[in-house]
Amino acid sequence: MEAGKVARLGSVRFSLILLILFPLLWAYAPGIYKVYGLYLVSAYQVPALSLLSSMQFLLPLLVAISAAELLGIEIANGTLQTVLLRPVSRSQWLLSKLMVVTLYPFVILAVFGLVSLLAGAPYGYGSFVGGTGLGQSGLLGQGTMSAGQAFGEVARAYLVAGYSLVPVALLALLFTVVFMNAAGGALATLSVLIFMKLLVVFPALDPYLLTTQLNAYAKPVGNLGWVVALIALYAAAFAAAAVVLFERKDF
Amino acid sequence: MPTPSIEVDRLTKRYGHRPVVQNLSFTVNPGEVYALVGPNGAGKTTVIRLVAGLAFPSEGTVRMLGVDPHHEPGVRRRLGAVVEAPAAFYPYLSGRGNLRLHGRLAGGVPEQRIQEVLDMMELGNAAERRVGVYSLGMRQRLGVAAAMLMRPEVLILDEPASGMDPLSLHLVHAVLRDAAAGGTAVLLSTHHLDEVVAYCTRVAILEEGRLIDEVNLLDRRERYRVVVEEPHRARALLETQPWVRHAAVRGPDVVFIPSEAEAVGRVTGLLAEAGLRVFELTRDIFDLRGYYRERIASERPTHGGATDRIADEPVPPAQGGGAP
Repeated sequence: MEAGKVARLGSVRFSLILLILFPLLWAYAPGIYKVYGLYLVSAYQVPALSLLSSMQFLLPLLVAISAAELLGIEIANGTLQTVLLRPVSRSQWLLSKLMVVTLYPFVILAVFGLVSLLAGAPYGYGSFVGGTGLGQSGLLGQGTMSAGQAFGEVARAYLVAGYSLVPVALLALLFTVVFMNAAGGALATLSVLIFMKLLVVFPALDPYLLTTQLNAYAKPVGNLGWVVALIALYAAAFAAAAVVLFERKDF
Repeated sequence: MPTPSIEVDRLTKRYGHRPVVQNLSFTVNPGEVYALVGPNGAGKTTVIRLVAGLAFPSEGTVRMLGVDPHHEPGVRRRLGAVVEAPAAFYPYLSGRGNLRLHGRLAGGVPEQRIQEVLDMMELGNAAERRVGVYSLGMRQRLGVAAAMLMRPEVLILDEPASGMDPLSLHLVHAVLRDAAAGGTAVLLSTHHLDEVVAYCTRVAILEEGRLIDEVNLLDRRERYRVVVEEPHRARALLETQPWVRHAAVRGPDVVFIPSEAEAVGRVTGLLAEAGLRVFELTRDIFDLRGYYRERIASERPTHGGATDRIADEPVPPAQGGGAP
């Protein structure tokens, strides 16, 4: 039921349009070399380009907006009260929302990755000399990369990127519970992410910041243990805070 | 005494330091229609939300069918409620689709019952239309249909008459009256004092979050007024009769409550035998509007009267309003 509601959200449709347009435009943008210093030689490099240019701002923002809207629209329409008047516990109902927003980043990244791969079709899907930009050797690579290897790197990177966006979605849901509206939830999340980015002036904090972990998709597999644990900790904390606040909220 | 379906005990709700409901106590018994009336901002909606379990009391307790709805949400299986005006539904689902969703959330309801409540609220023809295109009145009727879906033991409605045309209003009144006749306890808030008089059992008048008066409308409907010579003697005589529950002098009249409706016919004979001339014997129609206005005004001595939209309406000529 909640998944059906997500599909009807205006922000989700808007996000999908952007995420479909984005790779189609970027893959052939004339300024790519000037900005990123690269020439694309394979379709498997387009997904990297898509993540590189969207993971720090666009994707967290879109995820936050949709996660906030999923609850915010129920508050705005008054359907939240309608549901809470039925014999459903508050935490049970919010948990269904939490599950959906947890899965949401993976869904939009799957779409984003797929469209990115399709957008790169003219560059070809075969083996190529260079790297995907999502592995240890960057875009330059170390010799020839097979199609299977390249696809594996892309899939892993998108999975990690989706995972690192989960706390962003849960934070947006938490702030929507706090402010009781979608705009407040999304903007507060954005503010926290910007604030965290500014904390890079404290190098000791850097490894613990959620914004730092948004780049985890580019890390080698062996170094992911810490990232996975930290992101899980953020997600659990945001989800728990949302449930506790929601349980005590007046509607 | 039946066990109350709703028990509100010393209920207080504060937002910050500002109290919006203060030390409120009342009960609603099975089969009763209990109305909350009061000016805008009197706290009616807050009380409705507190009783329905949507908001938490700062002090005091709310019990529904003997349990705290916050601790035992399962009790809401026996609750029907509309707390939004207009009633809130998913606009992209049809009327029937929304009721199906309500049924699922409540643990399942047969398709036949959905059709019954749609027909009951005269929405059968619009059942397949998206709620997004419903008029305000249709949404309100669908709200009542959703509230009635599980054959509730407790009905809670915030402004059920909001946005309704007279025919829809009549329909909703009939449904609520029937529900109460079937043993459902109904708690509603309203600005429509005429509807309150028409079918409510008791009415609580709220002002600034306080219960300033509670009127038993059943007693008021059963009152009679007799214009008679020597009213004090007539009252004393009436009070000695076993078929008179209560009698009081009000100006030149005697107002009395018979213990049974048939007893009214005995009054003229009784008074005539005692040598008292009877000029008029009529039902004492309770002027809730006037009474409400007086009570609110008495709570606002410096303002000299209520500022509410009901109280600002012209008051009909007095018909013996006020308590004897």
